[in-house]
Amino acid sequence: MKTILPFLLLLICGLSNGQTTITGTVVDDSSQPIPGANIIVVGTSTGTVTDFDGAFTLKVNLNPPFALQASSVGFASITEQVTSNNQTINFILKEGTSLDEVVISASRTPERVFESPVTIERFGLKEIKNTASAEFYDGLENLKGVDVNTNSLTFKSVNTRGFATFANTRFMQRVDGMDNAAPTLNFPLGNLLGMVETDVQSIELLPGAASALYGANAFNGILFMQSKNPFDYPGISAYYKQGITSQAAAGDNDYIDYGIRAAYKFSDKFAAKVNFSYLKGTDWIANDTRGKNRDNTFIEPNSTRENDIDYDGVNVYGDLASTNLRVVKASPTFLAQLPNPALANLVPDVNVSRTGYDEADLTDYNAKSIKADWGLFFRPWENDFEIQYVGKIGSGSTIYQGSNRYSIKNFFLQQHKLEIKNDNFFVRGYLTADNAGDSYDMVFTGVNVNRQWKSDNQWFGEYAGAFIQGTLAGLNANQAHAAARTAADTGRFEPGTPEFINAFNKVTSDPDILTGSQLKSESKIYHADGNYNFSHLTDFAEIQSGGSFRKYILNSGGSIYTDRLGKIDYSEVGYYTQFQKKFLEDDRLKVTASIRYDKSELFDAFLSPRISLGYNIGEKENHNIRASFQTGFRNPDTQALYIGFNVGPIILLGGAPDNPERDIRTATSNDLSPTGQAILGTNSFTYNGSGAYNNSFSRSSVAAFAASQNPADLQIANPGLIKPEQVSSFEVGYRGKVNSFTIDFSTYYNQYKDFIATVDVVNPFYGDVQLTQTFSGNGLPLAVIALANEDFQPYRAYTNSKADVNSYGAALGVNTKIFGNYDFGVNYTYTKLDFDREANPNTQTNFNTPEHKVKASFGNTNLFENFGFNVAWRWSDNYVWEATFATGEVPAYQVIDAQINLRVPSLKSTFKVGASNLLGDEYFTAVGTGLIGSMYYLSWTINNL
Amino acid sequence: MKSFYKHILGLLSIIVIFSCENETVDDFRNLNSIEPLPELTSGTADFSNYVAVGASFTAGYTDNALFIKGQENSFPNIMAKEFTKVGGGAFTQPMMNDNIGGFLSGGVQSTSYLPRLFFNGAGPALLPATSTTNISTVLTGGPYNNVGVPGAKSFHLTLAGSIYGALNPYYGRMNPGANSMLQYAMDQQPTFFSLSEIGGNDVLSYATGGGVGVDQTGNYDPTTYGTSDITDPTVFGQVFTGIVNGLTANGAKGVVGTVPYITRLPYFTTVPYKPLSPANPSFGPLIPTLNGVFGQLNQVYAYLQSVSAITNAAERSITFSTTAASAVVIKDEDLTDISAQIAGVLNASPSFPAFVQSFGLPVQAAPLVANLLGTMYGQTRQATAADLLVLPSSSIIGTVNTTTYTYLVGQGLPANLAGQFSVEGVTNPLADKWVLIPSEQLAVKNAADAYNATINNVASAKDLAVVDFSAILESGATTGISSNPFILTTALVTGGLVSLDGVHLTSRGYAVMANEFLKAIDAKYGSNFVASGNVAKAGDYPTNYSPTLQ
Repeated sequence: MKTILPFLLLLICGLSNGQTTITGTVVDDSSQPIPGANIIVVGTSTGTVTDFDGAFTLKVNLNPPFALQASSVGFASITEQVTSNNQTINFILKEGTSLDEVVISASRTPERVFESPVTIERFGLKEIKNTASAEFYDGLENLKGVDVNTNSLTFKSVNTRGFATFANTRFMQRVDGMDNAAPTLNFPLGNLLGMVETDVQSIELLPGAASALYGANAFNGILFMQSKNPFDYPGISAYYKQGITSQAAAGDNDYIDYGIRAAYKFSDKFAAKVNFSYLKGTDWIANDTRGKNRDNTFIEPNSTRENDIDYDGVNVYGDLASTNLRVVKASPTFLAQLPNPALANLVPDVNVSRTGYDEADLTDYNAKSIKADWGLFFRPWENDFEIQYVGKIGSGSTIYQGSNRYSIKNFFLQQHKLEIKNDNFFVRGYLTADNAGDSYDMVFTGVNVNRQWKSDNQWFGEYAGAFIQGTLAGLNANQAHAAARTAADTGRFEPGTPEFINAFNKVTSDPDILTGSQLKSESKIYHADGNYNFSHLTDFAEIQSGGSFRKYILNSGGSIYTDRLGKIDYSEVGYYTQFQKKFLEDDRLKVTASIRYDKSELFDAFLSPRISLGYNIGEKENHNIRASFQTGFRNPDTQALYIGFNVGPIILLGGAPDNPERDIRTATSNDLSPTGQAILGTNSFTYNGSGAYNNSFSRSSVAAFAASQNPADLQIANPGLIKPEQVSSFEVGYRGKVNSFTIDFSTYYNQYKDFIATVDVVNPFYGDVQLTQTFSGNGLPLAVIALANEDFQPYRAYTNSKADVNSYGAALGVNTKIFGNYDFGVNYTYTKLDFDREANPNTQTNFNTPEHKVKASFGNTNLFENFGFNVAWRWSDNYVWEATFATGEVPAYQVIDAQINLRVPSLKSTFKVGASNLLGDEYFTAVGTGLIGSMYYLSWTINNL
Repeated sequence: MKSFYKHILGLLSIIVIFSCENETVDDFRNLNSIEPLPELTSGTADFSNYVAVGASFTAGYTDNALFIKGQENSFPNIMAKEFTKVGGGAFTQPMMNDNIGGFLSGGVQSTSYLPRLFFNGAGPALLPATSTTNISTVLTGGPYNNVGVPGAKSFHLTLAGSIYGALNPYYGRMNPGANSMLQYAMDQQPTFFSLSEIGGNDVLSYATGGGVGVDQTGNYDPTTYGTSDITDPTVFGQVFTGIVNGLTANGAKGVVGTVPYITRLPYFTTVPYKPLSPANPSFGPLIPTLNGVFGQLNQVYAYLQSVSAITNAAERSITFSTTAASAVVIKDEDLTDISAQIAGVLNASPSFPAFVQSFGLPVQAAPLVANLLGTMYGQTRQATAADLLVLPSSSIIGTVNTTTYTYLVGQGLPANLAGQFSVEGVTNPLADKWVLIPSEQLAVKNAADAYNATINNVASAKDLAVVDFSAILESGATTGISSNPFILTTALVTGGLVSLDGVHLTSRGYAVMANEFLKAIDAKYGSNFVASGNVAKAGDYPTNYSPTLQ
């Protein structure tokens, strides 16, 4: 507060008492009105926007003379002098280029894209109006360098420069300054809980690290969404969209999306707004029935339920329950049921999985998004000083693919923000709270619905028994397996039957992973940050400083995190300072330097510096080259820290210093071999996760040992506890205007250190991995006995990879006008992972982006009177999608989206008819998700300036 | 400027077109792909005309019969399927008429060639069906590549077809004319042959007969042999050498199998020597009485030893335990017959008449009883772990031997007493045919060893591939033969290796056998059936055949 107080005084002194009214219009150079253009009194934040006919009226508490600036995205700004009251000013704006647009996020201060010190992408009102995608958020996909990974119809995950799964914790999304990551998940749920279309003012996207300004997690990139202030944009606007989604698996389904924005400026002191939107549709059905490898999740295209007794279908759930019949035939209960125990010899030594349910039987695929937000804005002195309260809620149903696939039902996220700011500073605090609602894990729903009608032990016992019967009756192995499955599946609840529905309801409302599948979480983040821009006080350079504080409160009741016995909380704090100075004649050289200090309660402090140089070349300064070096770091996300989640074959375990011992589990006589029970002296063995970090073998070496039975094949894993991940990023770029072309090029090299990854390890229940403890009976190492008897727990432990992980890439965008006034843009993105996969088989980098991507768009906003169109084309090279749920190839694809629109000024309306994926070739961006079909829609937008 | 624009588009389209080579994707594919198996090569052998020579195993005999499915799954046919991948021709077999097995003789079921066995839920049982293959039908589709004739002994292979074809319907139906089995095979001019289980039947019938037959070692004239005799090794040697010489005369390559120790088969290992449980209600209550009777006898043995008439009183003594299973009583023809001595001692015993009276017999019967006891127990002992009881003994142990019963009644014993003294394995010692005693086992082993020495020598001289079935059967009888994902053991029904007759293999067992031959062929001729994965999968072959399969 000390810094703010003198500043408040300064503002108050600046107040004066005049009242001037100015009216006028804003048109482009072909006399077309420009609605939504900004009219601002230069040097203040006082201003208005033009209405649908490009007209404006502005009342200011100033006496002439003063300057009035008109600006609109895509046009060069113009400043005119106001010399008298009631003056009429008609601005004629010349169309500029995308490089002339003003962005804020790159340096936390307004500057032209052209001069921004780092790569930045902007998606503004014009782009939203012209996008051919059904939703404005989907339109981001056409930006260069941007990947949009499609989880489901309503949940898209934006990323840049690789290294993303749907749990994209390396990428940050801010809405009006608030990080809108769900605290439980630690990553944003796309626009499911984001912003209503008619309230969007602009979207900026910074690819690459931005930790120096935005702290931890602004690591791979950051997306900023800015809403319209009700002081500047009063009025009511609305949109209504209706259409169909079309997919081979799901057929044609209705799609409806509408929203309304109402903002009212009560006075120059007080304004308020409220937004609401509702979307309902049917999700893309995921029906990939290919099998996958249980150990490494690799897709096995030739595995089917019919030909693979241990089938684990990608979108078939319940077949996760798998056991080796060897274990069954050693079970005393099983042997007791046989007429002659020796018959067990006819049972083969093979893994068999239970019969699963198709994903479509375990979810209704309803996609829903309900968003509402409201804000109270108070300008006590009718100037740039503003106090605002903003509340946001979002609730939705969608599908999320993480370690498993989850049906997110009635997920509820709320945010409340209080912010005080003026042109030079802001202080804000907000709370983000989520509630998983009725969400459930579809994989475990399948597993546990199965267990509702028959326990795994009984099923596998009946299977083995029927296999013997079949063999004796003259069947060969394949026939006996088929007969055994039929026999064991007797009593199966068929989808749609009342007993299935009962079991489904019971399982999805039970958070215990052994019997249920409900996701339970009510976690919170408290966040505060502030920034002060000293530029009005200092001449030698622009200086700004700020800081942030964040506290996490995890509360999943043990269903996700190791918080069964109580909530987990921890906090992070950070400070930063940035200097910006222009040098040389015409201020051609711009130097920006910033440094940020961060300290998490759990880790040592970090300093992240950034330095960048921008230089304008040419007489008209039409060329700008830039170079930057920065470091970024990422605190391990909440999951990497505190997860303790049994996905079935393996437990996901966070690497926070106190986490492993929080993960407490018990192995019962079903899990322990008789040998193990004898060695441990108990048939109920309780263990915690610390063995994953201090007494474990690598899982791949255990697999090698299982094949060779040679203990020399075993490798000690003992991964380190987790610590922050760091990146050093070098970037150079060029922006230029060459005749009618604008060119934006950047290339970067990222060097990761302590890359956060998971490693698969196996912790034996007894014996040390150094093999010094031996069994007194035969001198064999205890740990080897444990492995041979399968008395162990596999973990997927979060840790920092020692491997060198580097990536590099480049993006080139060219925009121009062709055939007169048609907009044409094409961009190319190159992304490359530099990582020795063969040498690090246990490390997943989740690079998950194609090496090549090409996108182009072609359109005309005014093909003839009030009529425009846009066509967007995207091509993606094939790539490997690597994730816990499934790993496999994503084939190359190309997509065309198109729209035509008609403006009806008399109705203040725009009508748009559009289609995404017009070619109808279904594709996917991640293995395991539904194929993305086509969408056809008609939208009506009223009064969206 | 237009050219600039063109250049960019051109550049981009080049990237799009030529960017399909993708290192990350390739890396992934490499990681994900299973090392491909090498291509199959045949090595130096020529598999174009394969002829299999042998006996019942070669024919595909299983579950005590030969029938279509079993023939289809014969090991030569399984091997031939692999051979076709490297130039092997058609492999013909003298197919039976049905899946029942056995022969129809004169319009009725032949009792010598019965239908196959099936598993009835408890054990092997005779398929309730009538054979449809006529015993006298002669096939016209020959000559057949599979020259496997069930029951053929080594010297049968060189017997003229006119003789052996009449003797053995399995050969006769192959329409051999005057040709011996060897000639029949040679006339087909095989480029590759398998010669298997030659020598097996030369010891098998002796062993399955409990050693009733004669070990003819030293007798070089097979025409004088009985059907259950052991063939002289020299005779075997001459015949075997002749067979191999004949088959290799045209430079054919081949594989031969040795004779395993057949006593490891479940025919000899299934029935335990100690099957008499005190918990059995028809045996347990009688134990005190039995021990009373045998107690008298045991005293006689002890006395005879004390006067140095015998040295093995303990071995001959018979006691039944009231707490654990007891061994059956058997006749051991290797023991000195001391019937007369026993009768003498009993007759001399002053307490014997009273003992006889205790059975409700008149005192005058004492000499008769003494003689009977002497006759019945003059060459007996309880079985030990070293004795092997043949499979069929399981169905007679504990039953009344009607011959003995009739005899005892004829000797004047009352019916109930005669019955009590006629219980097989308890009061009626198991006859020679039910038990393979150690000396008989040794005869079988010695013969097999001698045959195998010949087989190995001849194969070595002719540079043929050899499979050592002794070792393979041994592992089947101990650890089990691992044929992923199955473990096959010699246990009857549950082992999966040997069929319900206790001697012949299951189809799954024949698949394993075929793979062993292929392995030996690989080693000798440089082929790679095993390494290239061109072998039989055990799971593709059943262990049993359904009774509905007819």
